[in-house]
Amino acid sequence: MMKAAIILIVAGTLALAASNVLAADIASKPMPEATEAFTEQGHQIYIQRCSFCHGLLGDGNGPAAKYMDPRPRDFTLGTFKFRTTQSGELPTDTDLFRTVSRGLKGTGMQAFDNQIIKNGLSEEQRWQVISYIKTFAPEFDDDELDPVKTGKVVELPASTAPYNAETVAKGKAVFERAKCWECHGRSGRGDGQKSFDRKDDWGFPIRIRNLTHPWKIKAGDRVEDIFMRFSTGISGTPMPSFVKALNDEDRWALANFIKSLQHKLTNHQVLKALRVEGDVPLDPKAAEWATAEAMDVRLAGQVVAAPRWQNPSIELVTMRAAFNDKEIAFLMEWDDPFKDTTHKEGQVFNAKEISKVGAFNSYIEGNGMIPRKLETFRDSIALQFPSKETSGTKKPHFYRGGSSIPVNLWIWKADADAAGKRAVDDAGARGWKQPVRAQGEKQQQVTSKAEWAAGRWRVVMKRPLTTPDRGDVQFSPGRFIPMSVNAWDGSNGEHGLIMSLSTWHYVFLEAPTPAKIYIYALLAVLITGGLGFWFRRIVRNAPADA
Amino acid sequence: MSGGKINKFWTTALTILVVFALVKWGIPAVSRQLTGMPFPLTVPGTLVFIYMTLTVVALFLLVTFSDEYLREFLSPIKKLLRGGYSESATWIVLIAVPLIVGWQVYEITVPKVQLPSSLRIQHPSSNFPVSFEKLKNPIENPSEATIEAFIDQAKENEVVFIPQVKEDVDAWAKETDPDHMLEFLPFAPVKKLLAEIEAGKVNKVTAKAALHEVNLFEGRALYAMNCRPCHGDSTAGDGPMADGFKLRPINFTDNGTIETIVEGYTFWRVANGGPGLPTEATPWDSAMPEWKLNLSEEERWKIILAEYNLAQKTPRIPESE
Repeated sequence: MMKAAIILIVAGTLALAASNVLAADIASKPMPEATEAFTEQGHQIYIQRCSFCHGLLGDGNGPAAKYMDPRPRDFTLGTFKFRTTQSGELPTDTDLFRTVSRGLKGTGMQAFDNQIIKNGLSEEQRWQVISYIKTFAPEFDDDELDPVKTGKVVELPASTAPYNAETVAKGKAVFERAKCWECHGRSGRGDGQKSFDRKDDWGFPIRIRNLTHPWKIKAGDRVEDIFMRFSTGISGTPMPSFVKALNDEDRWALANFIKSLQHKLTNHQVLKALRVEGDVPLDPKAAEWATAEAMDVRLAGQVVAAPRWQNPSIELVTMRAAFNDKEIAFLMEWDDPFKDTTHKEGQVFNAKEISKVGAFNSYIEGNGMIPRKLETFRDSIALQFPSKETSGTKKPHFYRGGSSIPVNLWIWKADADAAGKRAVDDAGARGWKQPVRAQGEKQQQVTSKAEWAAGRWRVVMKRPLTTPDRGDVQFSPGRFIPMSVNAWDGSNGEHGLIMSLSTWHYVFLEAPTPAKIYIYALLAVLITGGLGFWFRRIVRNAPADA
Repeated sequence: MSGGKINKFWTTALTILVVFALVKWGIPAVSRQLTGMPFPLTVPGTLVFIYMTLTVVALFLLVTFSDEYLREFLSPIKKLLRGGYSESATWIVLIAVPLIVGWQVYEITVPKVQLPSSLRIQHPSSNFPVSFEKLKNPIENPSEATIEAFIDQAKENEVVFIPQVKEDVDAWAKETDPDHMLEFLPFAPVKKLLAEIEAGKVNKVTAKAALHEVNLFEGRALYAMNCRPCHGDSTAGDGPMADGFKLRPINFTDNGTIETIVEGYTFWRVANGGPGLPTEATPWDSAMPEWKLNLSEEERWKIILAEYNLAQKTPRIPESE
């Protein structure tokens, strides 16, 4: 009895460990009939969960809407981006159900499935709110526009090729032929020639998707999701439908290729610097960087203090570091489809009005408040370190430190770089309330070299390991040195505190492995081996057991 | 029970493996089911060590319980050393075991680039002012005068909204031309209030409940404007900014977050943010803003009202004096 119970518990827990909890974004049954009471339930849910973005009239003009990019959907026109129906058609009920359940990644529209979030909506509640949303657009009442009844649904292929090198290569050829690169760029970073100043049907600017960042692929990053996107097109945007131009097989291969472009994030918080024998490289193209370990740093919009910014364009910086006995260099790489090397101080946003208690909102609006266009602000990146060696876990605040715990910032500026001047300011800050102060000319020890190609910046910053300056970070092997990143994309309107930033990571300069460690290991091998053979002798010399 | 047909040596080895698997993978899997969170709670290395030591000690006691047990346990080892399985098996084991031990010693002693973990206290109380402990949300407990004023506004069909929602409410009123502007709230207390106004006899309890709905509506909008980018539209700590922070925004729908603290504490945390935390709560890692710099007290209380409501939680009741 006892034994059986134990076996059951063991087997049960191990089975749980192996299983994957899948959320239900496919309804167990079709949408129930929309009775008045059913839709009224949906109306209540809509006011509680949706209206502050989508608006009381469903026109996408709720109180939070204008701060968001992309903006919340305007339901009144019946135009929906993410469908499984042909270009220009209404979505199916299942399409709406999928979006409400899963949400749209990287946007304010988040999952409402109660299997994903605890206070989410049950399947019935999701159908109720969908039935209410459909009342905003009269098109949904017209049977002649029903994509299911009129046979306008795009199906997934019945049989699909596997995801492998061959289908990916085939998809790459389709990517070339269908000219996806004209907008999305050859390497998928959204840096194609046609990609700036694109607008949607409502006149709001939209950015071409960077296909390499899966966390931003709104309607799902799986091969079947990608397949659907270019099969159906994205209504209201320049993204066309390829259902007629390409056959199923080509589209599936293309989806495989797009999937292969997706970056796989590293998941560690400590950057191990590479020890080099000769000179520390300053050129971003130097061969040494290939052997240095990469660390992905995720960034968020600066929302800690006014002016707050929730539409950052730089969300990932990949870092590498190399050092020798004298110097250390950091390579920082990030995607930015446009090289911005001008900076107009006169356009800087005055945040005074939105920063007060009782101001309408302390966030920057998605469009209108700051110029999000070319030739206005520079691209820039900064590395931040504590000015003084930290004791224990204590650190300055990741947002520019504080009045008693300053930080050291190395701020690289694209305009200075393009002008051939010293591109890095070795600077200091004591909290975000005070301006960053560049150190004196004699205390500027950081050199840099940068290149922009194919929608990606590669910037190297180099400095001696130690300096005589009080405000500077000092590097020595064997310590975890806190480090964080600030980044600005000029053509996204970013400047000053309107930026993206990371929380603390660390850089670690490895000390050479002490010889005693190899000796310990060798001793352990010898002692265990010796014991083994000794036991063998004892056993062999003893008389056999009964 | 002599262990049936399986030798004690193998049952011992199997027990160690099973216990290890349970601690290493079983507990995280069960934790995921219990907490309902999308990630498992891993068992710390020291705890794994303690569990495994206890297991080994218990097994040692069992094996050495009698000479017979010990003999049974040792017999496969003796057989191996004697070359009873095959001479090559003896050699493989005698060489492999020291190598594995050496490798483990190296692994343990070699300096690792691994961050020493720091414990973080989520709800520090060392600098929590006592005066906040018994604070009550004034929005949830409006004064008689506030209720009276609301009744007057409702009767005149001139309910005053905060500017942040006014634009949307006005647009709705212009488009739908309602008999009463509160009709945009399709909830029972509001409907009841409108019926009472129609009948000319307004009950204060009804009015209070309807006012609560208005406050919730305003609070949700303020939450969506200010907190949603990090804490998410459903308060699940999954806003569009969330992945950018190593210390993730708190998921208010989790057990053990906002339901374990009094609302005065929530108010204090919202006002002072990360910088207001004491050292044990690693203020330098927290992106939580000092909202007292940007939001009025009324706005903060409205947000807290909506936050608990959205998360479907209630605050802890302050201990009675």
